[in-house]
Amino acid sequence: MGLEQINTLMEVFTAEDPMPFMHPEGDPWKDFREVMRLEWKMDFTYKHVLGKYSKFFIELANKKFVTTECPGCGKVWGIPRPVCADCLTITKWKELPGTGTLVGYSVSQFVPAFMKVEIPYVLSVVKLDGADTPFTHQLRNYGDSTDNIKVGMPVKVAYTEEKVDHPLLLMYFEPA
Amino acid sequence: MEILDKERRVYVLGGGISKFAAERTDGNMRDWMNEAVIEALEDSGTKIEDIEHSTTSYFSDHFDKQLKAGAIFHDNIGMCPKPNVRVEGGGGTGGLAIRNAYAYIKSGLCDSMIVFGGENMGRQVPSDVAQQFIALASDTDWEVQVAGFYIAYYAMMMTAHMDRYGTKEEQFATISVKNHRNAMYNPKAHYPMDITVEDVMNSKMITYPYKLLDNCLLSDGAACLVFSTEEWAKKNARSWGAKPTIEVTGTGCGTDFMRMADRPFPDPGITHFRGKQFGSQQAYKMAGIKHPREDLDCFEVHDAYSGVELVSYEDLGLCKPGESGKLAEKGVFDLGGDLPTNTSGGLIGFGHPVGATGLGQGVEVLRQLRQEADPKRQVELNSKRGAMDSHGGTGTFCAINIFERRD
Repeated sequence: MGLEQINTLMEVFTAEDPMPFMHPEGDPWKDFREVMRLEWKMDFTYKHVLGKYSKFFIELANKKFVTTECPGCGKVWGIPRPVCADCLTITKWKELPGTGTLVGYSVSQFVPAFMKVEIPYVLSVVKLDGADTPFTHQLRNYGDSTDNIKVGMPVKVAYTEEKVDHPLLLMYFEPA
Repeated sequence: MEILDKERRVYVLGGGISKFAAERTDGNMRDWMNEAVIEALEDSGTKIEDIEHSTTSYFSDHFDKQLKAGAIFHDNIGMCPKPNVRVEGGGGTGGLAIRNAYAYIKSGLCDSMIVFGGENMGRQVPSDVAQQFIALASDTDWEVQVAGFYIAYYAMMMTAHMDRYGTKEEQFATISVKNHRNAMYNPKAHYPMDITVEDVMNSKMITYPYKLLDNCLLSDGAACLVFSTEEWAKKNARSWGAKPTIEVTGTGCGTDFMRMADRPFPDPGITHFRGKQFGSQQAYKMAGIKHPREDLDCFEVHDAYSGVELVSYEDLGLCKPGESGKLAEKGVFDLGGDLPTNTSGGLIGFGHPVGATGLGQGVEVLRQLRQEADPKRQVELNSKRGAMDSHGGTGTFCAINIFERRD
């Protein structure tokens, strides 16, 4: 037995001094260069709560885009929030037509594996008609080339028919 | 805001850095913290038993899977039972930790403080998982779920800047060239490289308009700074009088909405760092700086992506909005230029172990003002002032600090 007793052992190796230029008189850590590496797996599942903006996601399932309007100052937040961040008044739900204008975008040719999206992947910021601040979501159905995407182009909310892992993915943007 | 006690001043006594690298398999975050602390104590000529307080600077509880890690870093260096506090603000963590040291000492809560910071970002988890951990620093209900991740957010900011001002990809590529080049004269840098604008332009497209070489990398590493009052230093620091005296003369902090979409539209909209405009004005006012480009000798600027450095120049008041690209092309911010920026190599060249980054900026400005930097990256001292800017998220937390040499 010995090291093989350790179920999670990956390797034992001798590390080099990463800063030899700091140690002209020899490595002060020479007795500490043997290193062990283990595999450590963690797996969690959360029961995630969407809180007071849950209605937004419920309405998406009904193919409606709702957000919040402040009865105090009149501001309509593109992304709903239960308390107006400008005047701290409790807001009211308001349905928007779902049309708007593209104000910014990026085109990713590479995405981390945790993102279940097709490449190229377009993240966009859209100023929705009837809202004072924009909304962030994916832009799809832009045609055969990302060159078709222009700041200022009209876009609209579209709704997904497939099953999704998160209710925000019940919608996306596409050219109007 | 007004500083009432003008007699009580805060000084930077010394700094240390444990090498920034892609993967420090020779140790873990605890080991790097110890190394940075030992170097900072030597540099400042102080003993840990005399230091009254510490601040911990790290960003992510995911990367090291050790919660309240500050307790470990603090006890490893024999600081118990003295007080410790953790500061956290994403990429701005280190800058906020320096500000914290200033506030604690200025208020009289302590006369001395050691600030240590680091991040374990290397290859303990695959790069994909690391990207996911970092994405969790954007809104997990509204941004991460539409497959938002940081380069995509910053790319949106940059396309907005390009659309508004005509900024060109070649212009922000010059930032990558400069920062990788400056890192060649910093032996503790992660990514020193002699490259050209063409190399950046031809590197793999990740998210338009950012190519592979426009981005900073994930780094392992740690950094440490020691601060105190004059009275404490005279009594406890061998460096006092033996090395140039460096004072913290300005600190500023600004914030903006977590989600870029919520920011007042169209200005700053998704184009500018409003928190950086706000925080830098505070810091300049405090330090008596009217024209930052002329009144500073060096500036460490938060260059998570090359274009971020350009936009930061504008929001830090180093030039007018829309002007940064042209000035960068002219070499205004190169070594030997009007105001050399990221002489350490910045996040792109030096590295970005998040909790260490802002402190590493502080160590660089300290070295520059003491004229201890490698001669190839040493700036000329005129105003004897240097500044640092670090931010978290897409400019969500911004911290700007100013050091000044007093001879």
